[in-house]
Amino acid sequence: MNKFFSNKKDIFLMVLPGVAFLLFAMFLPILMSVYYGMTDWSGIGKPNFIGIANFKAVLFKDPIFWVSLLNALILSLVTIFIQNPIAFAVCVMLIACKKGERFFRTVYFIPAVISVVVTTRLWVQIFSPQFGLLNKFLSLIGLGFLKTDWLSNVHTALGSVIFIAVWQGFGWAILFYYSGLVGIPKELQEAARIDGASGVKLYTKVVLPLMMPVIKVIILNALINCLKQMETVYLSTGGGPGDVTQFLANYLYQKAFVSSQYGYGNAISVLFVIICILATYLLNRFTKEDVGEF
Amino acid sequence: MKRVLVFFCVGVLLCAVLLASAFSAEPKITLRMGDPHPDRQHTWGAVIEQINTAFEKAHPNVKIVSESYQDQAWQQKVKIYAASNQLPDVFKYWSFAQYTGALANAGLLLPIPEKQFAGMGWLPGTLDPNRFNGKLYGLPISVDFLVIYYNKALFDKYGVKVPATIDQLIATAKVFRDNNVIPMVTDGKDAWPLNLLWDNLVIRTTGNPTLIPKTMARKFKFTNPLFMAGTKMYKQLIDNKLFADDLLTSDYGASRNLFGQEKAAMYLMGSWEQGLSTDTSFSEPFRNNVGVMKIPAGPKGTIDDLQAWGGGNYVISAHTKYKSLCLDYLKMYYTMFPKLVWENKVCIPAQKIMTSSSDNQLSKELMSILSSAKTTSGTVHIDLSTADFNTTGNKLIQELTAGIKTPEQFLSELDAAAETASKSK
Repeated sequence: MNKFFSNKKDIFLMVLPGVAFLLFAMFLPILMSVYYGMTDWSGIGKPNFIGIANFKAVLFKDPIFWVSLLNALILSLVTIFIQNPIAFAVCVMLIACKKGERFFRTVYFIPAVISVVVTTRLWVQIFSPQFGLLNKFLSLIGLGFLKTDWLSNVHTALGSVIFIAVWQGFGWAILFYYSGLVGIPKELQEAARIDGASGVKLYTKVVLPLMMPVIKVIILNALINCLKQMETVYLSTGGGPGDVTQFLANYLYQKAFVSSQYGYGNAISVLFVIICILATYLLNRFTKEDVGEF
Repeated sequence: MKRVLVFFCVGVLLCAVLLASAFSAEPKITLRMGDPHPDRQHTWGAVIEQINTAFEKAHPNVKIVSESYQDQAWQQKVKIYAASNQLPDVFKYWSFAQYTGALANAGLLLPIPEKQFAGMGWLPGTLDPNRFNGKLYGLPISVDFLVIYYNKALFDKYGVKVPATIDQLIATAKVFRDNNVIPMVTDGKDAWPLNLLWDNLVIRTTGNPTLIPKTMARKFKFTNPLFMAGTKMYKQLIDNKLFADDLLTSDYGASRNLFGQEKAAMYLMGSWEQGLSTDTSFSEPFRNNVGVMKIPAGPKGTIDDLQAWGGGNYVISAHTKYKSLCLDYLKMYYTMFPKLVWENKVCIPAQKIMTSSSDNQLSKELMSILSSAKTTSGTVHIDLSTADFNTTGNKLIQELTAGIKTPEQFLSELDAAAETASKSK
């Protein structure tokens, strides 16, 4: 057996099917996208090769592409700097309170269990200017002057869509942070307490550094999910009004499947993949700190 | 030995049965079809099912396999089938350039022998939108035109008369607003009804029903001052809160439901919604009170300038193995269809129909609008060019509605999009 595993040829043969499948399932579609991105294919008839014209058009002549990317980045920043700290704080409180922990843990995870379609439609109803709960509530508490058409108003549409997306991802953030926090050995925290660390100091000097691998995964996950954001946008505003709430995935879908510009849509998708890989690489590079084993 | 004999006998018997059934059964032909009507129990879907059943009865060796999705999903499905050369044998589609035109130009549709369908009672001009490169590629289904459905009970309750001019429409909207009733709803999320309204307003401010098609043919420009009055009138309607506050996020179903549930007084939509008067998901008082009015007149265009067009059609795949069978199907379809759709209040067919005194009030009013039209303009401008122009046109009207674009910017960008589309066609 040892002889078998020390033979590189045998190892290669064992790994080959998996690698071949990976190449077929992942890299072949990307390569095909690169090819179709270099054509003017409308989805019907034969594609004409046009070189990198689509890529140049996306990068230098298409402001909507950049608006979509910017919106995705705003969503990422809101997720990382607002949703995540809140989720972390809630987890700390859950663990500290103990009473009702299981109940609240379940409640907070509910958004992640319900289908995105259902939760998006739910929020669209809440934001409805005529019959929505939010406007009615604002009237009730004397803030009627704030009433607006949340999803159609150019000043509030993006914020409303981001709010829905962040709310939908809150359950997952709680799950990750909770798992990370309960995974930190109690002995380490007790040792830190004996050494005089308590309250905020305990969390900033001991717990947070130990949580870094978990936080890194959460941030990476959040970033990729934000870049891929489609369902919530598609189901709430469709990217409108105009392109105010446009996101990359929704935009490339519209270009390929609604505008019948498959070639152009593929060019966007290739750039989209590059952006995702680049974001992952940069994030890994800047969060490479090793916390050691515990 | 006895067991072997039993097994042998059973085997022989089974073989005999199988051979007999193989030789006796006539080979079954499967005709693949498709349409955008997943509800097979009501309106369109039910009518198609009746025709399919009749066809299968008349052709016992034919089995119809039909698939149905909602409009946009069906459009995507057809594009995917077209890309992989797997179009259904015969299917319902749309006569517009970006749909039937695109498939016809790619050689994926069978030219339809017009003579075989002569005498089907086509209404004048209904076949024309289905001609591409001089050949007929589709057969029209309905005559569609833009109207405003209204709730007569709500109009009576607030003492409002049916508006005859755009100014009166604005005044009507104010009365309903003051009484916490949504004046008008439509599918603003998809935006095409807003473009239909804009077309109508251009006609009503210029008195010229051919201006838009000529502009799309690049004989004029959308930046021509002629378009400004209609665009400003559109903006005036929006600014005077004619529509629901959530216009741009309200889709087809949501807006239809608001009207059907009597939360809105008017509903801007096509003539195919005559089923509102028979839709049992809405209350009986509503069904009895739903009426229809013409788009009010402007300074130059009259109330009888009607925007009418042929929307849906039936086409045959160029690669079908059963060309004559598909043609037979369409012959049966268009023989049965006009009577069935009229009786079921589905739409106004593109063929002559016999109206009767038993027709309900809404159907009579719709027929009256059609028959009283003094001029008719055709397809909405966004459907006269490429799919990308359609998307851009819908986005631009949304931006005009939301105040992101001024009327000048709207017209300038619309013209730029039309120019790009005309070059890429």
